[in-house]
Formats: sequence, structure tokens, C-alpha cells
Amino acid sequence: MEIPYTVTARKDTGLFNSKVGIWLFLASEVMLFGGLFSGYVFLRIYADYPWPERALPIVPGLINTFVLIGSSVTVVFAWAALKMREWRKFQIYMGITIACAAIFMVLKGIEYKAKLEHQAVRMDDFAIIEGHAHYAVVGDDGKISHADTKTKAKKLSDSGAKPFKANAILFKPQTIDFSVARAHQPWVEAVLEQAAKRKSKLVTAEDLFLYGSIRDYAGTEQEPLSSKGRTNSEAELVAKYANAEEKAGHTFGERSLYIPAGTELSYDLVKQAREVYVSGRSHNAVARTAILKANWKKVKAARPEDKYWEQAPDARIDSATQLDEQFDSEGNCISGSKVVSVVSTLSFQMSPPQPIVIDRGWVKRPVKAQEGKAELRDDTSFNAGSAGDSAPGLLSSPLILAVDAIDFRWMAQKAEEAGKEPLEVIEKSWIFSEENKHAKYYKRIWKNHKARIAELEKELLEGYGRDKEGNAKRVPTETDRYRITWQDLVHYARVDQHEGRPPKPSDKEYADLRPKFWDGFAGPNHKDEEIHELHAFPELEIPHQKVSLQSMFTPKWNTYYAVYFTITGLHGLHVIGGAIVLGYYLFFSKGLYRRNPEWLANRVEVGGLFWHFVDLVWIFLFPILYLM
Amino acid sequence: MADTPEAIQKAKKQYILIGLILFVFTVVTVAVATVPWLDFGDHGFDSKDAVIGLLIATFKASLVASIFMHLNHERKTIYLVLLISAVMGIVLFFLTGWAFVDPIEYGNTVEGDRFYNPEKPITSD
Amino acid sequence: MSAEAVATDHGHDHDDHHHDLPFYKKYIWSTDHKVIGIQYAITALLFLAFGFFLMMVMRWSIAYPEEPLPGYLSWIFSDEWKARWLQDGRVTGETYNMFGAMHGTIMVFLGIVPLGFAAFGNYITPLQIGTIDMAFPKLNMMSYWLYLAGGLTMCASFFMESGAAKSGWTNYAPLANFADGQIVNQFLAGQTQWLLGMVLLITSSLLGAVNFLTTLINLRAKGMTWMRMPFFCWAMLVTGFLLLLAFPPLEVAAIMQLMDRTVGSSFFTPSGLYTSTAGVIEASGGGSPLLYQHLFWFLGHPEVYVLLLPAIACVAEIIPVNTRKPLWGYKPMVWSIVILGFLSFIVWAHHMYLTGMGPVISTWFQTTTVLISVPSVILLTSLIVSLWGGSIRFNMPMLWAAAFLPMFGIGGLTGLPLAFNLVDLHLHDTYYVIGHFHYVVAPGILFGLFAGLYHWFPKVTGRHMNTFLGHLHFWPSLVFMNVLFFPMLIQGMAGFHRRWYNGGDAYLSKAADSENVFGNTVAEWIHLNPVMSFGAFMLAIAQIPFCINFFLSIFAGKKIKNDNPYDATTLEWATPTPPPHGNFTFDVAAYRGPYEYSRDDHEGDFFPQWEEPKRNKPAKEPKTSPVS
Repeated sequence: MEIPYTVTARKDTGLFNSKVGIWLFLASEVMLFGGLFSGYVFLRIYADYPWPERALPIVPGLINTFVLIGSSVTVVFAWAALKMREWRKFQIYMGITIACAAIFMVLKGIEYKAKLEHQAVRMDDFAIIEGHAHYAVVGDDGKISHADTKTKAKKLSDSGAKPFKANAILFKPQTIDFSVARAHQPWVEAVLEQAAKRKSKLVTAEDLFLYGSIRDYAGTEQEPLSSKGRTNSEAELVAKYANAEEKAGHTFGERSLYIPAGTELSYDLVKQAREVYVSGRSHNAVARTAILKANWKKVKAARPEDKYWEQAPDARIDSATQLDEQFDSEGNCISGSKVVSVVSTLSFQMSPPQPIVIDRGWVKRPVKAQEGKAELRDDTSFNAGSAGDSAPGLLSSPLILAVDAIDFRWMAQKAEEAGKEPLEVIEKSWIFSEENKHAKYYKRIWKNHKARIAELEKELLEGYGRDKEGNAKRVPTETDRYRITWQDLVHYARVDQHEGRPPKPSDKEYADLRPKFWDGFAGPNHKDEEIHELHAFPELEIPHQKVSLQSMFTPKWNTYYAVYFTITGLHGLHVIGGAIVLGYYLFFSKGLYRRNPEWLANRVEVGGLFWHFVDLVWIFLFPILYLM
Repeated sequence: MADTPEAIQKAKKQYILIGLILFVFTVVTVAVATVPWLDFGDHGFDSKDAVIGLLIATFKASLVASIFMHLNHERKTIYLVLLISAVMGIVLFFLTGWAFVDPIEYGNTVEGDRFYNPEKPITSD
Repeated sequence: MSAEAVATDHGHDHDDHHHDLPFYKKYIWSTDHKVIGIQYAITALLFLAFGFFLMMVMRWSIAYPEEPLPGYLSWIFSDEWKARWLQDGRVTGETYNMFGAMHGTIMVFLGIVPLGFAAFGNYITPLQIGTIDMAFPKLNMMSYWLYLAGGLTMCASFFMESGAAKSGWTNYAPLANFADGQIVNQFLAGQTQWLLGMVLLITSSLLGAVNFLTTLINLRAKGMTWMRMPFFCWAMLVTGFLLLLAFPPLEVAAIMQLMDRTVGSSFFTPSGLYTSTAGVIEASGGGSPLLYQHLFWFLGHPEVYVLLLPAIACVAEIIPVNTRKPLWGYKPMVWSIVILGFLSFIVWAHHMYLTGMGPVISTWFQTTTVLISVPSVILLTSLIVSLWGGSIRFNMPMLWAAAFLPMFGIGGLTGLPLAFNLVDLHLHDTYYVIGHFHYVVAPGILFGLFAGLYHWFPKVTGRHMNTFLGHLHFWPSLVFMNVLFFPMLIQGMAGFHRRWYNGGDAYLSKAADSENVFGNTVAEWIHLNPVMSFGAFMLAIAQIPFCINFFLSIFAGKKIKNDNPYDATTLEWATPTPPPHGNFTFDVAAYRGPYEYSRDDHEGDFFPQWEEPKRNKPAKEPKTSPVS
């Protein structure tokens, strides 16, 4: 049994099945990329911040365009070869196509890597600083040191502590509270590892009883247990535990756990506590549900006429306290006997307190020094000592960058919105202030930049003249004025360090010193010795409290990079998918070629249609993402 | 459909030609974006550059679609499918755009400020 | 060698006598459209039952918010789950939100669409157009497994730390961007799982749509011209286009939100967003929550017709068979459905009147929304007029189909006020909206699909469903659907809000005799809460006869008298029962239109499409339009 029209075309439509199918599929792809492009357009038009226009290095995108167009030609040649029944030629053309796909993806990978390593910082005054973050390392003595590369940073610590990107949070806790229910294993272990490296211990401060589901622990309503009795029985349990320690291990009672003071933190301990916690919680839920049900029964029997909302307040059980141990005047426990109190946090003391490196992605909200604690997303809490204590908690660990771009556009925009002169606001900003110990480099760069823009303004005026109202026809853009790119930085450094007299912007050789557009293939090259010796990318030490947002050049940084990664990522998946299908035709279809070459030609045509569509999408992506 | 060997031979030349045109226009689109004396509109990037870039891209895309994807001689069914899809894509883009553009008259919209501004409360006049 | 031989033998043990396929290939990894249709139907019915169960828990919470869940609702949960998600056995707001979001998602995406479009479409369409299978059988299989994977991914999150998605079935940003933000591994958060599941479901639907459309375009039997296609196939064609073109924008939205949740982009996060848990969100901002709504509702509204068209299609097949009359106005109905499909793409923002759209665009959407009621009314009117003067056989399918008409009518008519901007501002997010769309979906669409189930059951199994149990299913369902949904319209107009999990402030306002924004009108209708919940529970009981009937009849139902038990004219009745792999035993062709009942020039009251015209007469095409 065979499906009709897989090889030959149906007469009235003139099409074979897979061709109808692929075009329908492409129609839905049009909607997919149409939706993405629409999203891009509206996000860009309604952006409330300066859009990073022409932000990507063009060369990789340009090469990729050539590669994809070339592969489009070869794939159609591969199809033609099959139609002519030339297997050898088909293999060659299809091979080239797949090689093109590989080149495309490799270039894409290089671009992505450059983005993922590039640090960006938005200051609280809306200045944007881009660069490569230095590495930091916590020495065995708890001292923090910085270095500009990972290898250099590693050498700064004797025991080979792990260097980390300087944007991490450093916190010196007195105590750490772990949520029994939610503590995240890798994070607990990371804390333990760091503590061990810095010769510090995490131990419990006091004896802890964790109850799972002790039945009638405080007695029953008829036979209440006095609080004295409770203490006694607790003491008995402790004694029992102490005697049975070697034999019975850590558990005693009914699904309960005793953690004596001085127990060291381990994830196993947290896990054991979690089991007890979960069973205690279930136990309570069952008990409380039963009590609530009984209450309702009582209320409904007593006042059947009443409306539901009139009965409800009497049936309600309010909170845990009402149900937990209630004592009469003689100290007898009279109610809530079935509910146990559950321990949901385990607190550990750190002795001696040592800094812990906390990844930025772990914290629930930005850590502030005055709050004295850092809260992680798994409800772990790092606590500094009490107020007035000498222990500060949050350690100052400045973010040190090798700066390769400075962007004041947003600051200028904000200044204009507030009716202020942008230049004044910029020149009063933190980066040029006394607080910044590297300010002199930046003042010099800014001076150079202003001189160059003034020259550009002059050139434009001379080149294009004025309009009827006397305004210059062409003026430098906001981007020219307020964004100092890495090319600018290299340019100014070359100018400043020019042998002999530094050229003026009006000199001819001034322009020759500027990097060409093919320099820095996928962005500024910090490793390039020449640039490095120029010190074109000066250091900047940014205190954390001045930072309002920091990120690599990832989707988090702004919606432009979000769009870039999402669309090119999806497009890349299409490239990979297409290459797999075409590869299948190339490597596994000899048999089909012998049996039914026309069928294979149909398949290659359909695969080729998809491939052309991928190319077509890129033809739009290239100008939209790289040139606009 | 160009299925005879002669027709395919002929078409191959066409494919090469189209490939070359695409290469050339890729260079053109980069040149328009980077070379100062090819900068239309104002200095630097602006809407005119965007329109030119998109026009070139559309031209290239239509070449790919019509020659490589053989849309210059395709069946009615496929044209119909693509027409419907194109219409819906346009509907999505323009109606959404219209909804974004249409002003909210009950707000105190300031130019460029789409949100309620407590400093300028709504007054009835 | 022996192992292989054993394996083959083993396969033979399970062989059906018709084919040489092993059991798992025939019934599990099947590429046969009929088996896949049955797989879809069973899976979808199970999901529907699950969604129904979620709804009962919610209805309990609304009617009896202060009482623990009764045993018949809570037995399914483990104690640990109850301890985590219920408070003293009562439904909490968070749990209600979770159940609400998942009820909507499951019913729409995992229940009705797969049952209507995928199950009926898969089983019936190839039979009705006279072909052996779908155009791409393997793709068809993949659609089903992607659907199952998507559904299970979504539902798995019920058992995760975060619980399932809680941000409504529409998953509006920015709420949905940050819900479950505390979860360390975002891929294991319910809210993210929802998106992953959605991407899988959308991919499944897209593949399904491509398959359906290709089949309908390219695989119609000889003589099966467009205007000879049964109305059912037309409905599938339009539904296929709706899915093909409307789903990609939602896929875009889901992918963007996935980026927002997992890598912290800001597609849908506006600048300066503040939440109580994280303070000012640490994100770049600059995104647009409205963009999400547009992308969502661009699918959302066509999706309504994706739900509706298969149901209306079932009814349109059943009415001619059981009235022994041609479908009244076949051609206008076809045109209506095509226009309906188109219009459904340009009405979406009537779901968004409250988002602050301007008056001009609101007027546009208001106008198109009112316009779309025209083709809908044509469809419904044609179906009603089709009954006129027929000698109606009130068998089970016909009962359901007949009930569909007024029930769907109520659903449609209650929608009209919502189309108007001014009225909608008042009714938005009240129970009126809930009542409206549940009238469309539950007693409307579901009744249509039940009709289809009863109608084609004999073709699938060779046995009729039991009539007595059928009546026991139908009448209580009809009554209690109305008990459940009609009060919603009343409450909604009084201002009862759709998200009040605890019976609303209404209970409180009644108790305290206070006034809420709507005056005290909500409180006046609050006593309907228990009535509606009673309706829901009785409706559940009414489904029991159906379950019994369904399974019992497969094995013990009354055998059908021949392959065409209803004396129907469309091609699915020309196959053996159940249809074998390959469907038809003769060279099938369509010689006339689909609804040739009670023709004067033909003996017997039906003239099947497949019956060859008598040789001695010159083959003259009968007019396809039944109006004469």
C-alpha cells in the first residue's frame, strides 16, 4: 500500500505531496519569523532607552551572508545534478552546501562567544560602561586580589583557589540559615567547599529537636501532659539518644531527628532534616484538616439554619498557635496535642567567619550592605553579625573592568528629559569625578572625543552646508557624540602616543590612525599586543553600589541583545536542522538513488526549498541586526 | 517546470547569475551602511537608511524566492497558500502596530510618555 | 541468530490476522491515521476528565471556601502534596490559581483541540475524501507523540516544587515572567514547564496542520472535487489553516517568554517593574507586556474557531443523515466557514479592550467582531433550517446534535454584548465572560463532539453504543450544564469576579453587610455558588454512564447491521467495519455531492457518493447544491 503522489505530481494541483507540505510549512515559518520581526520592530520603536544601533562587528555577518548565499547556489546545483542523474556532482555540491552550514555555525559560535565574555555595566547615573571584567580570587587568608586574566589570578592564591569574574558578590557571614525544604544541593556544597578551603567550619549553635510525626506527644484532651512532663520526656529522649548514639545513629523517636550543638553542616544532614520536616508537615496537615472537619460538623449540627458565611467564623481554625500546645494555669497541655512544631530552617555558625563568593545569579534580590544579609533564591540566608558588630557582611569587592566602550547616550537622554544640558550632566558624572581614582584617563579620553566630534561637526558643515533656516544640513548623531566606541579608544590612544607630535583632528594622518572596519573581527581584541601596549582600554574600578544593572552581552543586557540571540538562535537551529536533513540525503540515499532517483530529486528539491528559506531569512537578518 | 536536461542546463547559468547579483547587492548594502558618501538622509543611521537596507534585502529575498525557490513558475495552490500567509503576516504586523500607535485618550499622554504621570494629573477641560 | 528468531516469533504471537505488524507497531507506534485518531481521542478524553476534576476542586473552593476538600475530591492527592498545597485541607489562593490556569490550558489545548481536530479529523477526513491514509503518516505519528510529550510536560509540574503554572491559561506577562522565580532550576518551574509544553504542543499542531492540509489538497479521491467534499472536510481545511497561521505567533511569544524566564531577557518586562518579593526587578526592562497579549490573542481568537469548527462539522454531518434531507445551504455554509476563518484573524484585540487601546483601534476590533457573527449565524441558521420538514430520527447522535444548536446559540448570543467596547469594560473578567465562553465550549462544542463520538462509534468498533445509557448520559448532562453555567451569567452581570477563589469577597461582604465596588449586588446572587457547584458535581456523575457505555459497547454493544448502518452517503461508510489498513476495498471515487438524500430521481432515500451512476444514462453531474 502506497500513499499516492509521493513521487509523481497529482494532475489537477500539479504537485507532489511533499512539495505541498513544505510550502505549507514555509507559510507557517513566514508567520513565525513574521512574529519575531514584528516583536523586534515594536520593541525597537517603543524602546525607552537608546537602542544599540550598528552594534555588532559587520565582518562575521558579511561572511556569513556570502556563505549562505553560496550554499543556496550549490544546493540548487545539487538538485539539478540529480535531475541530470549525475550522482558524483550531486555529492560534491551537497557536500559544499553542508560545509557552508558548518562554516556558518562556527562563525556564529565565535560571535556568540565574544558576546558572552563581554561585560556591560549600567551605572546608577545611566552611564553605560563596557569592557572585560578582571578576575578576582580570595586568598587563603581571606584577602581578595584582582588580576586581568584567569591565569594571573590563579597565581595570586597559594592553594590554587578558583578565580572568579569580579562581578560576583563577596559576603562574610556570621551565620548561615538553610531552608530545610529548599536548600539547593550544589549551593550548599559550594559553600562547604569554600569554607573548607579557607579553614572555616559551619556548625550548629544549639541542640535541635526535629519532630516528624510524634503521636500524642503532649498527651490527649482527657489525659493532658504537663509541661514538666514534656520536658522530662524530652530529656529522656536526649538520654536515649546519647546512649544509643553508637548503635542507632542519628534518629530516635518516631521519624524524628536530634541534632546536638556543634554538628557540622553537610548536605546529608539537610536532607535528613528535610525528610523529618516533610513528614512533620504532612502530619500537621492531616491533623489540622481533621480538626477543621470536626469543627464544621459541630457548627453545622448546632446551627443548621444559619447561612454558610455565618457559620464560617465559628468553624475556622485560625493559625498554628491556637492549635499548637495550649497550656492551662497548671501548666497542662490542653489542646493541639496532635500538631507538632516543625523546624524549617537550620542555622549554622561560621567560625571563623570567612568570605564566601556568591554567584550573582544565586541571589533573590540585590544585596545591600545595610541589610546585613544576603538571601539566595533557595531561601538560604547569609547573615552578618548584629548591628554595631565589626563584621560588615557584604565585602567591598569592586568590579574592575578593562573598559572598551563608554556610552553616555542614555544619560544624555535623561538629562534632556529633565531639561538639563547633556554635556554638563555627563561631565559631572561619577566617571569624571574625584571618587573615581582612574578619572584622569577618562577625562583625557573625553577631551580627545570632544575634539574629534567638533572636527566632525566642522567637516559636515563644510561638506553639506546649511539649510534655509541656517542650521547645518548634517550634524553628528547622538551616537557619534555620546558613545565612545572601542575604535575611538584605540584611535585616541594611538594619537596620544604618536611618535613625536600627536596629530590634531584636522591633520591628515589623524584619520589614518583610526582602526579599519575589518580590525577586531568579532569585537575589540584585548589580547592584541599592540593595542594592549597602547593601554587603549584603561582600567576602571566600579564600586558595586554605583551599579544599577550588570550583565554580559547576553539577552539580559537589553532587548536588542535579547532579539539578537533569540532570532539568530532560532535561525541557527533552522540551519542545523536543514544541514541534518541535507546530510541525510548526501550520506544515506545512495540506495534510494538507485531505486528511484526521481523520488530522491523530489526530496532534495523540498530540502532545498527549506534551505533557501533559511537563506532568505538571513538576508533580512543581516541588515536588521548588523547594519541598523 | 524546467525538467528537461536542456532546460536545467540553461537554468544553471541563471542560478550562477543570480548568485552573483546577490553577492553584489550584499556588498552594496554594507557599503550604503558604512561608506560616508553613500550615506543617504542625515548623517549616521536614520529611517532612510533603514528603508534602503530593507529595500535591498527585499529585492534579494525576492530573487531567492522567485529563482532559487522556483516561485516564478509555480502552481496556483502554492501561490494561494503563500498569499494567505502573507496577508495574515501583514495583518499581524499592522493591526498590532495600529494598536500600539493609537493614542489613549483618557490618559494624560505626554509626547513619548505612555504612562500615567502623577506630576501632571488629568484635568477636565 | 536465535534471539532474532525468537523476537520475530514473539511478534507473530500478537499479530492480528489482517496484518503482519507486531502489536506495538500496530497500536502504539502506529502510522495508520485511524489508530492515531483513536490514540488522540483516548488521550484527549483522559485529559478532559482531568481538567474536569480540577474544575470540581475549584468549584468546591468557591462554594465552600472554609471547608476542607471532601474525601471524594482529595483522595487523589498524597498527604505530602496536601500539606504543601492545601491549608488545613482547604484550597488556597495559590492552589486555586494553579488549578484555574491548568484547567483552562488542559481543556483547550490538551482536551478539545486534540479531540475535535486531531482525533475526529484524523479518523474521518481521509475516509471522507476517499484516500488510504494521511499524506505523511510518520509525521502524523510524530504529531501525536509531541502532543503527548507536551501534555505530560505541563502536567508533570503538578508534582514539582513549584507546582504547575499559576498565571492563568493566558500566561500574561509580566506576571508569568516572574511567577515561580524562586525556583533555582528554572527549567523545573511549573511556569517554564508550561511554556516548554506549549512549544511542543504548537509544534505538534503545526505538523498536524501541514499534514491535514496536504492530505486535503492532494489526496482527494477521483471525482472528489472541492464542492463535493463533505462539510466536515471543509471545516478541517479551514481549521488546518487557522492552526498553521495562528500558532506560530504564539510560539514566538512562548519562546520569548522562555527567554525572559530562563536567561533573564526583558521582552515582556517593562522598565522599572517592582514586585513584592524581589523589589525593583533586576532586569534591563524596555519590554512590552502588551506585545505578549497581542501575540497570544493572535492565536487565542482563531483558537476559538479551532475548537468550534470540528464540533459544528460533526453536527453538520449528523443532521443530514438523521433528517434524511440534504444539508440546507451547503454552499453558503462553505463560504461562511472560509470567511469565518479569515475574519477570525482580525478580531483578536477584543480580548484586550481593558488594556488601554485607543478608541480608533477599539472601534475597528468592535466592528470586525460584530461582523464575524454574520458567518456564524449563517452556519447555525443553515443547521437549524436543515431540520425543517425532515423526518428526524432521534437517535443518540441526533439528540446531542439537536442540543448543540440552542446551547451554542446561547453561547454565541451572550458573546455579542462582549463584542462592544463599552459593555465589555463592565463585564471584563467577570463570571459573565466565564459563562459565555463555557456555554460555547461545554454545552456547545462538547455536545457536538459527543454527537460525533456516538455517531462514528459504530464505524470504529462495529457496534452501536447503548441507547439507555446514552439517555442516562444525555439528559442529566443537558440539565446540569445549564444549572452550572446559566447562573454564571447572572452573577457576572452583578460583578462577580472570575478570580475570586474563595467565593469572593462576596461571602465577606454578605457577612459584614458591606458594599463592594458593585454595591451589594454580588452578595445578592452569592447563594448561587453552591447551586452551580451542585450542578458541577451532578454533571460529573452524569458522565459515569458514558464511561461505562463507552467501554462496555466496544465489547458488548449491539452489532451493526452492515457497513452503513445509518444509510449515509459520505465515503467513510463505504469502508469495511472497522476500516482495515488501507481503508477501501474497491477503487473509490466520488460521483456526486455529499448529501444526496431523498432524491426524486433515485430509488431509496439516499444516493451514496461512491455509487456508480447507471451505465445506460449519460453521466450527468447532479447539482451539488441541495436547494432545488
